[in-house]
Amino acid sequence: MTAATRRQFLKSSGAGLGLLITGAAGCAAPLRGDFSPKKGRRVVVIGGGWGGATAAKYVRLGDPSIDVVLLEPNKEFVSCPFSNLVLSGVRTIESLTRGYDGLRRHGVRIYHAEASAIEPDRRRVRVGEGYLEYDRLVVSPGVEFQWEQIEGLAQARETVLHAWKAGPQTVALARQIQSMPDGGVFVLTIPPAAYRCPPGPYERVCQVAWYLKNNKPKSKLIVLDANQDIISKKGLFLAAWKMYPAIEYRASSKVAKVDPSTREVTTDFGDRVRYDVVNVIPPQRAGTIAVQADLVGGDKRWCEVDHVTYESAKHKNIHVVGDATIGIPVPKSGTIANAMGKIAASAVVHLLNGKQPPAMAPVNVCYSWVSDREAMAVINAYRIQSGKVVQIEQKLTPGHSIAIAQNAVGWTTSIWNDILG
Amino acid sequence: MTTMGRLSLGAMVIALTVLLGSAATTAAGPLDTPGYAKAFACSACHGFAGTSRADTIPVLAGMPAWYLKKAIEDYASGKRPAAEMEPYAKMVKELGVDDVAGYFAAQKKETTPLTPDAAAVARGRAASAPCAGCHGPAGKGDPAKGVPDLTGQPAGYLLNQMLLFKADRRSPGDAALRDLKAAIRPIPEATLADLAAYYSSLK
Repeated sequence: MTAATRRQFLKSSGAGLGLLITGAAGCAAPLRGDFSPKKGRRVVVIGGGWGGATAAKYVRLGDPSIDVVLLEPNKEFVSCPFSNLVLSGVRTIESLTRGYDGLRRHGVRIYHAEASAIEPDRRRVRVGEGYLEYDRLVVSPGVEFQWEQIEGLAQARETVLHAWKAGPQTVALARQIQSMPDGGVFVLTIPPAAYRCPPGPYERVCQVAWYLKNNKPKSKLIVLDANQDIISKKGLFLAAWKMYPAIEYRASSKVAKVDPSTREVTTDFGDRVRYDVVNVIPPQRAGTIAVQADLVGGDKRWCEVDHVTYESAKHKNIHVVGDATIGIPVPKSGTIANAMGKIAASAVVHLLNGKQPPAMAPVNVCYSWVSDREAMAVINAYRIQSGKVVQIEQKLTPGHSIAIAQNAVGWTTSIWNDILG
Repeated sequence: MTTMGRLSLGAMVIALTVLLGSAATTAAGPLDTPGYAKAFACSACHGFAGTSRADTIPVLAGMPAWYLKKAIEDYASGKRPAAEMEPYAKMVKELGVDDVAGYFAAQKKETTPLTPDAAAVARGRAASAPCAGCHGPAGKGDPAKGVPDLTGQPAGYLLNQMLLFKADRRSPGDAALRDLKAAIRPIPEATLADLAAYYSSLK
């Protein structure tokens, strides 16, 4: 352990002290010492989202003699894909929520606890006052928000919502939209790339606009995009937005400040925009554990990995999957995280059995809902070329349709089962 | 050592051998199956090992290799135009369609877990005579003539394919499908939905 990482470890393990941890049995008791001594080969997975839950399941499918422990603070999985439909009232949050019992049936042992630090040299994960040993670690920490990038945001976190991690914030933002008077102004701010789910903000524009058109037709929807243009499926979104005259899209409008007392956001050009309801999607970086464990690269934001095994460029025996990764020409999407989870799991199983991992590239599909019943999609296929992921082809659906929306529903049915079933 | 003791020791050795043997087989299974990891290209939508749970996405588990290979070829070439399949078909061809098709064909055949409406199934059965000529009385098809098995596929997928045939948007101009399309064209969409329900309900 280097001096820097030791300091980080001490700092982060100190932060974890005194945390109440809920164990596998569901009883709230602090986990102390080596709370589950390693007997055979073990893989620990940090994070039970699209990447981590998939990886945990697929290690067990690939080799059931490997002990798999998943660390995930939340008791339930809530899908980010489709959560924009909760804002329009088309879907309930319950319809996007699944339990972890399917993973348990595959023999994955789950602690609903937060990993507080990683000790790469000792192959240990700290969990508050306790620790777990691993042979290989899969880190799927998702994203964390860079609150400090927008003045006033950190203090206003309770009322200025992101709803960019599906759950209570999604429901709360839906309520704010429902409470907005007809004739009100809804402001959505989009962070600079890279962020989780490139088409997500533009899909959100469609969903809020659909809701306003049907319920509060005098209202306005102002989009402040930090990027120079719509960064995903531009033509398809512009075609869809023709249905919604309430949308006012402003490119190159990076929000610098939010002030709930005056109900105003200010862009870095000094433009002030008054709102009745604001939805600030903050700039993002890899989940905190990845930053603390020194898994991020020179940008201090995202994790570089091997394109075949997803092993960290910084630390041996640690694999990083999902939105926290960078350097692979793929979007930060649920389908990609799921694919990375499978491929990393297969690599881990091969490596633990002394075999060469197969060179398998991920796949991507991103469905976006443009109304209550129509969707469109972007599809990407990739290959491994000289050890790197390279795109074979990207295709867009010819437009939006009900048939594509049916496939979107089919995709969630299959992929949620692939992750958790 | 008593006879009893010797016997139980022998039994233990056998049990241990069986245990080790099975553990070794399990560990070797997916790792040494070339199609296992390649099929990850399909599983986000078609489910693990091709066990689709979705209404409009076909089940691949147990699908005969000849049919999957034909489908991949047709999607990749654009003969079956589908933005949601074409890039993946090209990827599967690069990965090796024989490995992928072989992997799905080796899986136990699954049928969709979705149960179609019983009344629609009954109406579909009554209307199925024109289909049985090629697909057989049990809907199992005829590989020798390139006629696919329809049984147990999700109804939404079967209906969508019939609608594509009806509009001549799947393999347009294909002489082998001329009779099929001519047979489907006069059938109203509601009846096609009943036929889809019927064939979906067959195991």
